[in-house]
Amino acid sequence: MLQYILQRVLLMIPTLFGISLLSFGIIQLPPGDYLTFYVAELSAQGEEVSEAMLAQLERQYGLGRPWYVQYFLWVRNIITKGDFGRSFTWNKPVNDLIWDRVGYTMMITLLTVVFVWIVALLIGKYAATHQYSPGDYIATFVGFIGLAVPNFLLALLLLYYSLKFFGLSPAGLFSPEYQDAPWSVGKWIDFLSHLWIPIVILGTAGTAGSIRIMRANLLDELHKPYVITARAKGVPERTLIWRYPVRVALNPFISTVGWTLPELVSGSVIVSVVLNLPTTGPLLLGALLQQDMFLAGSFILLVSVLTVIGTLISDILLAWLDPRIRLS
Amino acid sequence: MSDNHRTDSDILLDIRGLKTYFHLDEGTVRAVDGVDFTVPRGTTIGIVGESGCGKSVTAFSILQLVERPGRIEEGSIVLNTGGQNRVDIAALEHDSEELRQIRGKDIAMIFQEPMTSLSMMYTVGFQMAEAIRLHMDVSKEEARDRAIEMLQAVGIPRPEQRFDAYPFELSGGMRQRVMIAMALSCDPMLLIADEPTTALDVTTQAQILELMQRLQEEFGMAIMLITHDLGVVAEMCSEVVVMYLGEVVEQADVDTIFHNPQHPYTQALLESIPRLGHSHEGRLNPILGSVPDPYHRPSGCPFHPRCTQVITGRCETVHPEISQLDPRHTVRCLLHEEPHG
Amino acid sequence: MTATPHAATPSALPPIETPEAQDDVRLLVAGQWQLMWWRFRKHKVAMAATAISLLIYLVAVFAEFLAPLPRDYYAADYTFAPPQGIKWFLENEFGNREFRPHMLGYTVEIEAVALRRVFTPDPEQVIELGFFVDGLEEYRLLGIFPTRKHLFGPKDPTQPFYLIGADKLGQDLYSRLIYGTRISMTIGLVGVTLSLVLGILLGGVSGLLGGTVDNIIQRVIEFIRSVPSIPLWMGLSAALPDDWDALKRYFAITVILSIVGWTGLARVVRGRFLSLREEDFVMSARLDGVSELGIILRYMLPSFLSHIIASVTLSIPGMIIAETSLSFLGLGLRPPVVSWGVLLRDAQNVRAIATAPWLLIAAIPVVVSVLALNYVGDGLRDAVDPYSR
Repeated sequence: MLQYILQRVLLMIPTLFGISLLSFGIIQLPPGDYLTFYVAELSAQGEEVSEAMLAQLERQYGLGRPWYVQYFLWVRNIITKGDFGRSFTWNKPVNDLIWDRVGYTMMITLLTVVFVWIVALLIGKYAATHQYSPGDYIATFVGFIGLAVPNFLLALLLLYYSLKFFGLSPAGLFSPEYQDAPWSVGKWIDFLSHLWIPIVILGTAGTAGSIRIMRANLLDELHKPYVITARAKGVPERTLIWRYPVRVALNPFISTVGWTLPELVSGSVIVSVVLNLPTTGPLLLGALLQQDMFLAGSFILLVSVLTVIGTLISDILLAWLDPRIRLS
Repeated sequence: MSDNHRTDSDILLDIRGLKTYFHLDEGTVRAVDGVDFTVPRGTTIGIVGESGCGKSVTAFSILQLVERPGRIEEGSIVLNTGGQNRVDIAALEHDSEELRQIRGKDIAMIFQEPMTSLSMMYTVGFQMAEAIRLHMDVSKEEARDRAIEMLQAVGIPRPEQRFDAYPFELSGGMRQRVMIAMALSCDPMLLIADEPTTALDVTTQAQILELMQRLQEEFGMAIMLITHDLGVVAEMCSEVVVMYLGEVVEQADVDTIFHNPQHPYTQALLESIPRLGHSHEGRLNPILGSVPDPYHRPSGCPFHPRCTQVITGRCETVHPEISQLDPRHTVRCLLHEEPHG
Repeated sequence: MTATPHAATPSALPPIETPEAQDDVRLLVAGQWQLMWWRFRKHKVAMAATAISLLIYLVAVFAEFLAPLPRDYYAADYTFAPPQGIKWFLENEFGNREFRPHMLGYTVEIEAVALRRVFTPDPEQVIELGFFVDGLEEYRLLGIFPTRKHLFGPKDPTQPFYLIGADKLGQDLYSRLIYGTRISMTIGLVGVTLSLVLGILLGGVSGLLGGTVDNIIQRVIEFIRSVPSIPLWMGLSAALPDDWDALKRYFAITVILSIVGWTGLARVVRGRFLSLREEDFVMSARLDGVSELGIILRYMLPSFLSHIIASVTLSIPGMIIAETSLSFLGLGLRPPVVSWGVLLRDAQNVRAIATAPWLLIAAIPVVVSVLALNYVGDGLRDAVDPYSR
C-alpha cells in the first residue's frame, strides 16, 4: 500500500512539472511582457517609475533573460515565497485576489463530486436492479439529455426561468445583504441556500455519465456467483445488494473521479461566469480577455494542481478501500 | 436406509411436479418441466445428466435462487424439518423471512466456481460469521469461534489466521473448503452441491469429495450432489436421479442405476463413460446427436430422436408416464409402460 | 449464448440458436460491414438520430439556400425585434380565407425613458411568404452556381423577416442559426479529423512500439486528461493574436480543441493495436511472411476501422460543445463568424435574456445535434461490438 502511494506521488511530480510549464507558457504566449504592461499602467495613472524599482522588478522576475531562467524564478518565487506575481489590471499581488476564489471553486467542485456520487449511486442502483423498467428507461434518457446539454446552457435556462417565474436572478453565492458581511450563522444559511444551484447545474452532466457507469458496473455484478452465495446464506435482499454487488461496483465507479474532477472544474469555470459566482471562473475570464497573464496563469496553475491533487487523494482512498490493492 | 420401505418422516425433501421456465425474448425455455423426486434424510442423492438437462435449475429452484427471466411456474418443494414441520418452499414469498430462515439454515448450498463464489471485498471470516449470525443467536465472538471451528473441521491449516484472510489470498481448493465450512456452519439438514468439483484440478477434486463424505458422517446431513460425472456418483451417492431435458427419466438406488439401468438414456450415459477394469473392445459409445435446442423440444418422448430403441410411431407422439418398476425404481419410458401399466 | 445474464444457470441453458435457421448461412457469408449495418439497423433510435444528423449536415451544406437572408444583413431599426411567427390564411378581396402563408410587420415605438424599442404586430403590414423566392443578394450555391433563390422567405426581400426574432443588431436569428450550423458542425468534423490524425499516429506508435515510447505517450495522455480542459482552452485561445482573420482563428481553435481531443482516440487506437496483436489471424499472417506494414494495413486496420468510426462519432459532440463553450465566453470564434456559440454569447447576461429570451433558441440546435450524434455513436458502438455493452 505504502509503495502504491509512493508510486502515485512520484508519478504526480512530472504532471505538476508539466502543469507549471503549461501555465508559464500561457503567461508568456501573448506578446510583450509583464514589465512593459506594468510600466505602461503606472504611467497611465501618472505615476513615475523609478529606475531603482524597475531594476528591482527585473531582478525579481528575471525579465529580459532567457525563458527558462524566468520560468525557474517564477517557480522559485511561488514555492519559496508563495509569490504568484502581480495582476496589472487590479494592480495587486495575485495572491490577494485568488485564494478566496480558488477556495470557493474547490468547495463547489468537491460538494458537486459528493452530489454526483450520491445521486448517481442511488439512481444507478435503482436502474440496474429494475432493468428495463420505466424508471430505468427514464434514467437512461435523462442521462443522455444531461450529457447533451452543456452545463452553461442549463445555467442560462435556469436564469431565464427564474426571471420569468420569480422575477429574480439566482446568480451569486450570497444575497446582497450578506455579500460583505462577516461569516455568521445567517450568512452560512444564506450561502447554503444559494450553493445548491451551481452544484445541481454542474453535477447534471457528471451525474448522467456516472449513472450509466454505475448501472453498467452493477449489472455486471448483480448475477455474479458471490451474490448468489450470499442469497443462499439467507442474507436479506436489501442488505445483500448494498453489501455485495454495490460494494464491488463502487470501486470502478469512484475511480472515475479521475475524469469527473477535471470535468467539473472545467464546468465550474464557465457556469460561474453565467451565474456570476465568486469563483475562479469570472476572474479568470476577465484576466484572459484583458491579457492579465500573471493572474490568468496563476489561476490555471492552481486549479490544475488542485485537480491533480484531488484525483490523487481519491485514488489513494479508493486503493485503501479495495483490499485487493491495499494488501498487495 | 437399505430396506425398501421408507416412512414419511424419513423424507427430508419432497419435490412434486416442479416446473421452472425461463421467459426469454426468443421464447420460453422449459428448463425444468415436471420434476418429481424425494431426498431421504442423511443420504447422498446424485442428480446426473448432460449440460442443459435442468439439474442446476432444479437445485436453484429448491432455494428459490432462480433469477429473472426464470420463474418457478408450478409444483411443490416440501421440506420436512422434523415432526410435523412441513414447509412448501415453492409457495414462499420471494425474500420472505421464512424463506431466508431456510436458506443457509436448513438447506445450504455450495457452487461450481469457488473462485467467484466468495466476495473479494470481505474477509473469509466476515462472510462466514455473517451466515452464522443470521441463523444462530450468538455474539460476534461466538460466531468467530464457530467459524474458526468450522474452518478447522474442513481441514484448513491455521484457521485463526485464515479467518482474517481475503478469498483472493486462498487457492481454489481452499476456497471450496471455506464454502463448505460456511455452508455447514449452521448445521443444515441438506447440503446442495452444484458441481462442486468441476472447476478444481483432479487431486483437489478427490480431496473435496472425501471431505464431503467425512463431514456427512460427522454432521449427518443429506447431500444433493449435482454432477455430470458418473464416476463421482458411483463413489458418493446412494441414490441417483437421471434427468433429461428438464424431466426425471429414471430414479433408483446407485446399484440399480449402474447394474440394471432401464431407461435408454441412462444406458447410453453409462456406455459413454470409460471404466477402469472393463476392457472395452474398441471405442466408447457417445450418445447419438446432442441435446436439442430448447425452443425445438421434440414431441412425444423428448429423448426419441437420439434413442437407439425408439418405437417408431409411438415415441414421437406419446409422452411417457412414470412407471414404477419396483418400490425404489421409477422410469419414464414407453418400453416399460405396457407391462406395468 | 444469449447475452441475457442469468448466472443461476450457466451450465443449465444450452446455446440458443437464432430462430430463423435460414439466416445462419446469410450471417456466415456476410462481411464485417454488412453485419455492422444489420446490427445498426435494428437500433431504431440510432437510425432516427442518423437521419437527423445527416439533415443537420445538409443544412450546413445548403446554408445560403435555406437561410432567407444574407448572413450579415442587419437592420438597426429592428434591434431585438420579437419573433413574428407564421400565419397561414389571409382574407382575399372577396372576403374568403385563402391559404397564403404570411407574417405581420411591426409598428415600432421608442419608449421615452428606457430608450427601448417596443414592437407591436401590425395587421396592416402583410409580409407574404413564398417558396423559391428571390433574395436580397446573389450567392453561389455549393460555391459554384450563382443564384438568388432561397427555399422560402418573404416574397419582397426588403420587408422585415424575423421568424424567431432578431438580435441586438436587428439580424434575423433564424438565418444566422442556419449559417451557424455550418461553422459549428464543421468545427466538430475538422477538429475530430485533426484529433484522429494525431490519435492514430501517436496511439499507433504507442501500441506498435511499446516500451519507453509507449510509456512516455501514455504519461502525456494522462497529463493532458488530468488538467481541466476549459481553463486550458481558455488560456490558449486567449493567447491567439487579435489581428488574426476569421479563417486563421477558426483553424487555431480547432487545433486548440484537438490538443485535448486526440488523447481519447489515441487510447482507443492503442488498445485495439495491443489486443489485435495477440489475435490468431494476425499471428497467422505473420507466419505467412506478410510484412509488418502489410499486416497493419491489410489485417489490423480493417478490423479496427469500425471501432475508430464509432469513437470518432462519439467525440464530435464533445468538440461541438467545446467550441460553443469557448465562443460563448468570447474566447473562441468571434463575429463576423457565426457559430451557435457566437450566437449564444448574446444571451450571456441576465439583461439580454430578460429583453430577448428568444436568443436562447440558439441552444436548441446544439442540444439536438449533440444528442443525435451521441445516439449515432452509441448505435455504432453497439453494432461494432455487441458484447461491449
